[in-house]
Amino acid sequence: MLEGVRVNRRFGGLKAVTDFDFRVEKGQIVGLIGPNGSGKTTLFNVITGFHPADSGKILLNGNEITRCKPYDIAKMGLARTFQIVRPLLGLSVLDNVTTAVLYGRENIGSMAKGREKALDLLKFVRLDSKKDVPAQRLVASERKRLELARALAIKPELLLLDETFSGLNDTEVTDAIKLIFRIRDELSVTIFLIEHVMKAVMGTCEKIFVMQYGVKLAEGKPEEVSRNPAVIEAYLGKKKHA
Amino acid sequence: MRGKYVYLPLILILLFVFPVVKPPLFFLTLFFSVFMYVGLTESWNLMGGYTGYISLGHIAFFSTGAYTTAVLMNRFGASPFATAILGGLFASIVAALVGYPVLRLKGAYFTISSMLLSVVMQLIFMNWEFVGSSTGLWYKLLPVSIETNRFIFYEVMLGLATVITLLVRWVEKSKFGAGLIAIREDEDVAKTMGINTPRLKIRAFVLGAFLAGVVGGVYGYYMSYVHPEVTFNINTSLLLLLMSFFGGCRTWTGPLLGAVVLSLMNQLIVTFIGAEISRIIYGLLLVIVIIFMPDGVLQYIKGMKKIMD
Repeated sequence: MLEGVRVNRRFGGLKAVTDFDFRVEKGQIVGLIGPNGSGKTTLFNVITGFHPADSGKILLNGNEITRCKPYDIAKMGLARTFQIVRPLLGLSVLDNVTTAVLYGRENIGSMAKGREKALDLLKFVRLDSKKDVPAQRLVASERKRLELARALAIKPELLLLDETFSGLNDTEVTDAIKLIFRIRDELSVTIFLIEHVMKAVMGTCEKIFVMQYGVKLAEGKPEEVSRNPAVIEAYLGKKKHA
Repeated sequence: MRGKYVYLPLILILLFVFPVVKPPLFFLTLFFSVFMYVGLTESWNLMGGYTGYISLGHIAFFSTGAYTTAVLMNRFGASPFATAILGGLFASIVAALVGYPVLRLKGAYFTISSMLLSVVMQLIFMNWEFVGSSTGLWYKLLPVSIETNRFIFYEVMLGLATVITLLVRWVEKSKFGAGLIAIREDEDVAKTMGINTPRLKIRAFVLGAFLAGVVGGVYGYYMSYVHPEVTFNINTSLLLLLMSFFGGCRTWTGPLLGAVVLSLMNQLIVTFIGAEISRIIYGLLLVIVIIFMPDGVLQYIKGMKKIMD
């Protein structure tokens, strides 16, 4: 479904992503973890066309998207959320989702029909009771669900989630995990997520990439990765030999 | 929402029949300029209000329209009103050529570049012999009495302002408008929604320029004289921004209110008190509005009503 081959991206002298290979299969939930500043969000920005790769190739369903614009990539079925949620603050919850429905892959011309479909999505993330509330009055967990609904509104096949679980309390994390599975199972959307909350990573992902200094450190099933000495070192540091 | 502005069509009808009572010419002239500002502010608001790209170059499109009319009449004796549409077309061509590179800029950078557009065009027109350079262009008025003349332009500008306002209102409630508003709120998020942001921006820019060009085309005909320092006056661009912000730039009603109130006020103070005083009052008023009513007067009144309830 999504494949990256030797993807590189640098900012001046800083190599943010180096020769990164990855593969996400249809129907999977795949995780991307790594210490702060390791290049995870940059990789997402590269995939979604916000910071196009300097070299390497990215394929979505076999079509190359390496040099495509963000809006074209969205139209090809790839949705994303942002690490710091970015609801359109001045608009109502419903309008936030409606605009995405109108311009998404269904490309709907009628506002009424767009609103109808947007409302369905708000029901899906259980935000329909707040549909007329301005987005700026939502609390953090609601904003995250709004962000999800808006990403789903373009009818994606693949969804990139950038730290959707951060800042949520324990019960909210459990709810969000359920929601992630519902997105995959009921809407058949493949999911690729960046996450620091281990409960969420271990509870959802069938495959994990570990990134450090822009390089892939490890790849595999969650339990394999969490036993990998290189990964433990990256997170906890080296044992000192006195 | 429905029925909220029922009194507007009534006012409109009254305005259309107003010249029948043969009012003093002063009123027709005064209202002509009010209608002109309504048309210009509403057309400015497509970019400035909905898309959030504050342009100080709108006057360049208006002047392109005015000069189109002036040149066609002065040099070729063209018949009026068709020239207004042509003026709009020329203005949209300018907007498309300039917009393509300039719309990549954001915030203050866009604003400064758009301002430079009108400054540069003013310089060009000042030195361009064909369009009269710094002496300006004169041409003949319609061969009718001054009363009939004023009456015709009053009705034409009123009609134009109405059409522009309705069109902008339609945009605001359409998919096109929803896309523009998404760009204003967060351009990156808009892209993730699948919105082709450069294309949408250029459309709004060109449409706004077209409308301003048509208004300019009618104005150019009405004035019978164009001069770079008068038509390309950067203060006019600033006025449009202020009118829109005064009323509230997020809805079509804001610029309408702002243009009517401020242009009436401006004209009346200039006529009866003096231009200098007008500027002081004007400036003070704007400071007050921007500090205490950042979303415009309309939103402020709505907010007050809510508190009262």
